[in-house]
Amino acid sequence: MKKPKALILKADGINRDEEMAYAFNIAGAEAELVHINDLRSKKKKLSNFQILGIPGGFAYGDDIVSGKILATELVSYLSDELQKFVSRTDTAVIGVCNGFQVLVRTGLVPFGKVGKMDTTLVANDSGHFECRWVKIKIEKNSKSKFLKGLENQIIWYPVAHGEGKFFARPNVLSKIEKDNLVAFRYVDESGVPIQNYPDNPNGSINAIVGISDITGRVLGLMPHPECFVRAEQHPNWRRGNVNSPQGLPLFKNIVNFVSQ
Amino acid sequence: MIQTIRVVSIDERQDLKGNELLSLIKNSGISKARSVRIYRLEGIDRKKAKILSEKLLSESINQKYYINKPAFNDQSKKIEIAYKPGVMNPEVASIIKSAKDLGIKLAAADSSWEYAFFGKINYAEIKKFATELSLFNPLIEYIVNKPPRTLLIKGRVGPTTTVEIRDVEDEALMELSKDKLFLNLEEMKVIQRYFRKIKRDPTDCELETLAQTWSEHCAHKTFKANLIVDGVKKTPLMERIKTEALKHNKNIVSAFVDNSGVMKFYHGFAICGKVETHNSPSAIEPYGGAATGSGGVFRDILGTGQGAKTIASTDIFCFANPNLAKKDLPPGCLPPDYLLKRVVKGVKDYGNRMGIPTNNGSVHFHNDFRAKPTVIVGAYGIIPQKIAKKGQPKPGDLVIAVGSRTGRDGIHGATFSSGEMTDRTISVNSSAVQIGNAIEEKRMFDAIIEARDQDLINAINDCGAGGFSSAIGEMGTHTGVKVDLSKAPLKYHGLSPWEIWVSESQERMALAVAKKDVRKLLAICRKYNVEGTILGEFTNTKKLEVFYGKKIVAQLSMEFLHNGLPQRNMIALRRSTPQGKPFVEKKLREPKNEKEWIKIFKKVLSHGNVNSKEPIVRLYDHSVQGTNDLQPYAGVKLDGPNDAVVLRPFLDKKYAVVISHGLNPVLNKIDPYAGSLWAGVEALSNYVAVGGDIENASLINNYIWPFPDEESLWSLDKSVDAVVDLMKGMGIPVISGKDSLSSTYRKGDMVIKIPPVLCISVFGRIPNASKTVTSDFKREGSVICLVGEQDLEMGGSVYYDTFGLIGNKIPKINLGRFGKVAKTIYKGIQGRKILSCHDVSEGGLISSIFDMCVGGDCGVSLKVSNSARLDYFLFNETAGTFVAEVEDERVAKSLFRNIPFQIIGRTQKEKRIEVSSSKKIFSADLNELKKIWKEPMERLFP
Repeated sequence: MKKPKALILKADGINRDEEMAYAFNIAGAEAELVHINDLRSKKKKLSNFQILGIPGGFAYGDDIVSGKILATELVSYLSDELQKFVSRTDTAVIGVCNGFQVLVRTGLVPFGKVGKMDTTLVANDSGHFECRWVKIKIEKNSKSKFLKGLENQIIWYPVAHGEGKFFARPNVLSKIEKDNLVAFRYVDESGVPIQNYPDNPNGSINAIVGISDITGRVLGLMPHPECFVRAEQHPNWRRGNVNSPQGLPLFKNIVNFVSQ
Repeated sequence: MIQTIRVVSIDERQDLKGNELLSLIKNSGISKARSVRIYRLEGIDRKKAKILSEKLLSESINQKYYINKPAFNDQSKKIEIAYKPGVMNPEVASIIKSAKDLGIKLAAADSSWEYAFFGKINYAEIKKFATELSLFNPLIEYIVNKPPRTLLIKGRVGPTTTVEIRDVEDEALMELSKDKLFLNLEEMKVIQRYFRKIKRDPTDCELETLAQTWSEHCAHKTFKANLIVDGVKKTPLMERIKTEALKHNKNIVSAFVDNSGVMKFYHGFAICGKVETHNSPSAIEPYGGAATGSGGVFRDILGTGQGAKTIASTDIFCFANPNLAKKDLPPGCLPPDYLLKRVVKGVKDYGNRMGIPTNNGSVHFHNDFRAKPTVIVGAYGIIPQKIAKKGQPKPGDLVIAVGSRTGRDGIHGATFSSGEMTDRTISVNSSAVQIGNAIEEKRMFDAIIEARDQDLINAINDCGAGGFSSAIGEMGTHTGVKVDLSKAPLKYHGLSPWEIWVSESQERMALAVAKKDVRKLLAICRKYNVEGTILGEFTNTKKLEVFYGKKIVAQLSMEFLHNGLPQRNMIALRRSTPQGKPFVEKKLREPKNEKEWIKIFKKVLSHGNVNSKEPIVRLYDHSVQGTNDLQPYAGVKLDGPNDAVVLRPFLDKKYAVVISHGLNPVLNKIDPYAGSLWAGVEALSNYVAVGGDIENASLINNYIWPFPDEESLWSLDKSVDAVVDLMKGMGIPVISGKDSLSSTYRKGDMVIKIPPVLCISVFGRIPNASKTVTSDFKREGSVICLVGEQDLEMGGSVYYDTFGLIGNKIPKINLGRFGKVAKTIYKGIQGRKILSCHDVSEGGLISSIFDMCVGGDCGVSLKVSNSARLDYFLFNETAGTFVAEVEDERVAKSLFRNIPFQIIGRTQKEKRIEVSSSKKIFSADLNELKKIWKEPMERLFP
C-alpha cells in the first residue's frame, strides 16, 4: 500500500519539525518538511498531501502573541488551499504546541472557519514557560477521529510552552463541551481533571489540553506526542513502568485514518 | 504620522504582568496595576491602524484596543518603558512582515509596555518603583516622557580617517591605545614600525583591525606568553595544553583550530563542543548578555567544519548570594538576584526559541562574585566526519555574509551619538550591549544546514567578537581577501566603514562559496527569509584589502596581521603573604545530638550550591529535538536531579552523546592546583555516574580568571598544570577551551578579585543510550555503596561554609585510582548491575544520598563505622566518589572487588533518612528535608 504523505510545515522559528516528521515516518507515513515560502510560491501544493502537521516552536518569535504571525500569513495567502484541504474527508490536520496556537488563530479549530477566531491560548497562569511531563486523559466521547481505541487512557506527554492556557468565552466553551470537541484533559493521579499547577501546567479552563474541530479531522494540543515515540524519551523508563511510547499510537491512528 | 495602538486584556485577572507588578509593590496606596501593550506604526492612516488592531495586534476574545488614546481614562498614573532608539527590538520585523501579509505597508514600527497604576500615588513614586523593581535597564531602555515624532533613523556614511602614528612619541601612542585599542606599548611600537616600513600612516579601519585581531580576546596573549614562574622559565600555557592533548588523539578529529573541538562519533559522524563565557556583557545587561552568549556559542557550532548542527546547550553561572545586602554591592554593579533572574531568562529565551535543548548546567553562589558574575554557556553539535575539519577558502571563492544586518551593536567605545539621526534624544550606548534575535539565528541555521547538505560551503566562520574583521580576516589568512563594505546590508545608515568592519551585530555568519554555487546558495537564503550578500572575494595576494565602494579603507599583509603580534613575556609569582585573612583550619565540634544533626543537614541542603535548581531547569526546553534520553530530573515525582545528559542525536539510532561539567570556584581560592583537579574530576564523575565512558571522552576547559597580574598568573599557571596532569592521568584530551582574564573589579582603591573559575566540560560517546542510569533509587531494600576513596579533608566544603569557615586543606584525589573507579562504574552500568548512581559533590555524601531518596521517593537506613569523624564522613566532598545502588551485597562485592568501596546501608520504603553507627545518630523526615531543599529557588522563581 502506498504510504500517505504528510506535509510538515516549516516557517521561521518552527523547531519541532524533525521530531514530528520522524513520528509520522515511523507511524507509516511519508513525511516531508515543506517551507511556507514553497507553499506561497506554489512550488509545493498542499493538495498533494493527506496530512498537514504544524509543529511546535516559536514561529516568527511568537511576536505579538504566540502563533499570530504565522496564522496571519496562512490566512492571508493560503486560505483557499486550507479550506479545500480540510473539506476533503481523507485528510488530517494536527497542530502541536505552537502548531495548536496557529490552528486556534487561523480559526481551523474548533469551528473550521478560516479567519474567524473563536478560542485562544494565552500566557500560562504561572507567568512562565514550563518544560515538564504531565498526565493527561483521553476523552471518552471525543469527536476526534484520531483517538479511536485510546479512549479513557491516562498517558504521559511532555509540555514545553509559555502560552498554553486554553480560553474561550462561556458560550463558546459550552458549545465545545457539548459537541465533544475536547480531546484531552490534564488530570491528577486518579484521572480527575485538575486545575492546579503544575499538574495543569498552564491553568487551562476545564483542564483542556487539546481540542478537535467539528469534523474530527483537525486536532490541536499543547503537549508533544511526537516527543514520546520511543519509550526511552520518558524520564522514568528506567523505573520499569513505562513500557511503550504513548505518543506513537496517536500518529498511527492519524496515518490509519487517512489510509482508510 | 505615527498611529499609537494600546492593547489591554479585558479580564483583569488575565493581566499577569499587571498582577505581578502589584504583588511586587508592597506597602503603598496602589490598589491596582495594569499593563498595556503599545504599538507604534508609522506611515499609515487611522483606518489601516484599525485593520491592523483588529486582525493582528489584538484578539477580541480577551483583549481591547485603543487607537491614539489612552487605555485608561481615569485617574491612573502611567509610565511607558521602551527600547532606546537604535537598540534592536526583535518584534519590529514581525510586525512589519505581518502587516505586509495583510496588505499594509509600514514605514516603521515599534512596540513598548505601559504600566498604569491606580490609587494614591504620584508620578515620582512610580518612577521610583520602576527603578527599584528593575522594570527597565537604563542601558537599553528608557522611560518615554514624550512620544516620538518619527521612528525612522537617518544618517550619513561616516568618514575614514588616517591616524598619524609614524612620528609620534611613545606617550601619544599609548594615549591612542588607551582610548580604544587596548594594546600595550610594545605592540603599539610594532604597529608603528610596520607603517614606517610601508611609508604611510594607518587608517582607523586598519588600526581597529589590528586591535581586534591582537586583542586578548582573539589572540590569547597571556596563554601564548613566555612565562617566568617564581623565577623559573616555563612553557607557555597554551603549548602545555596542546602538547599533552595531542598525545591522546585516538578520537580527535579537530582540536584548537576550529570554532569548536571535534571528536569521532559513530556511523561516519563526529560530535563537537564549545564553551564560552559572556561575563562582561551579562554584568551590565544580563538578559541580552546571556542571550547573545548562547547565540554566539551556537554559531560556533554552526561555524565548525563546513557547518555542524547544534544539538545541546549548557549553562553554568556563578553569582553572589541572592540575599546579598545592598550595602555590600560595589558601585555600578547589579544585584545578584536580578542578575540571576535576567541571565536565566536570556538563556531560556534564546535556547528555547532556537529549539536547542538546554539540559545541563549549574548555578553556584559566592559573595566574591558580587562585582561580576560568571556566565558560561556551552553548545554541542553533530556533523558528518568528512566535512568536520575546518574548511579552507580557495582563491576566487566569494565572501558571503549571511544573516542579520549590521548595526552599531557591540562596537567597543563607539557611541550612537549623531544628533542628525532623528529628532528624538538619542542617548544610546547601544554599542556596548547586544540584543539577540533568536529567530533571525534560527532561520539562518536552517538555511546554512541546507546549503551544507547541498555541498555549497567551502568554509564558514562565525561573526562573533570582532565581527567581519575577525571572521573574514581569519578565513583569508592563507589566501588573501578583498571585501567591499558598501555592499554590507545595514540596520540603519550612518556607520563608518571601520564600524561596519568590526561591528559585533549578532546572528551573522561569513561563508566562502565557489562562484558557481553562489546562485544556489542565495536561493536557499531567500527560501528561508535570510539575507545573503556577496561582500567580496578570496584572492591569492596574501593581503587583507577592505574597500568602501572604490575607496580602499584598509590594506594589510596577512603575515603581519596574523603573525606580527609579538609574544609577550610575563612573570608569575607566588604571593609571599596570603592576601587578606589566611584560611585556617579550625576545630569544629561534631553535632552532639539528633536535633543538631538535622539542623546542620538542613542548612547544607538549603545552601545555594546544594539546593534544588528545578524551578530554573523547568524554564528551559530540554525535550525539544526529542533526543533527550536522560533528563535533568527523573524519579517518582520527577524531582530527583541527575548528573549529566544523555542525548541520541539520531532519533532512529542508539548511539549517544553524554555531556557534563564541573567547577568549584571556592577551592581555587584555597589551592588553584587542587581546586582545578577537583573541577576536572567532578566533571568526569558526573559523566561517569550516568554511564559515560572515559575511554571515549573529550574535555573543554574554560578559565575565568582575574586580570593576570603576577599573583593571578601564578594561580593560572597552577590551574593549567592541573589540567595537563588530568589529561595525563586519565588519557583524555582537552580539545577546546577559552580564557577570559578580566575578573578583577576596580573602583578607586577598591579591588575585588573574583574567585578564579576553571570550568571543565566533558563530552563523549557511548554506543547505546539505553545502557545509562539515573540517580533515583529504584527499589526497596537494595544495597547502597560508597564507591571510591574519600579524603576526609573539609576545606572549601559547604559544611564548612555553613559555619562561616573556609579551611585550607582540600580533599586530594588519586587520578590512577579514580580511573579504575570510573571504569568499574561504566562496566557496572553496561552490565546493568548498577541500578542508580550519583556522584558526590557539593553538600557531600549525605546530600547525594538525599537526592537519590528524592528521586526514589523512599528512605534509607545507613549504618556507618565509628572510625572516622561522622560529620566529616557524611559531608565530605571528595570528587571522584560515588553512591551506587546495587541489588545486594553479593553484587557489590563482585563488581567493586578491585576498587575502594563500602556498603553503607539499604534503601527503605519509609521516607526517612536514618543514620546510625553503634547507636542511632539521627532520623530525618524526607519530605521535611525536601521542602527546605526546594524552598530557596522556588522563592526566586515562583
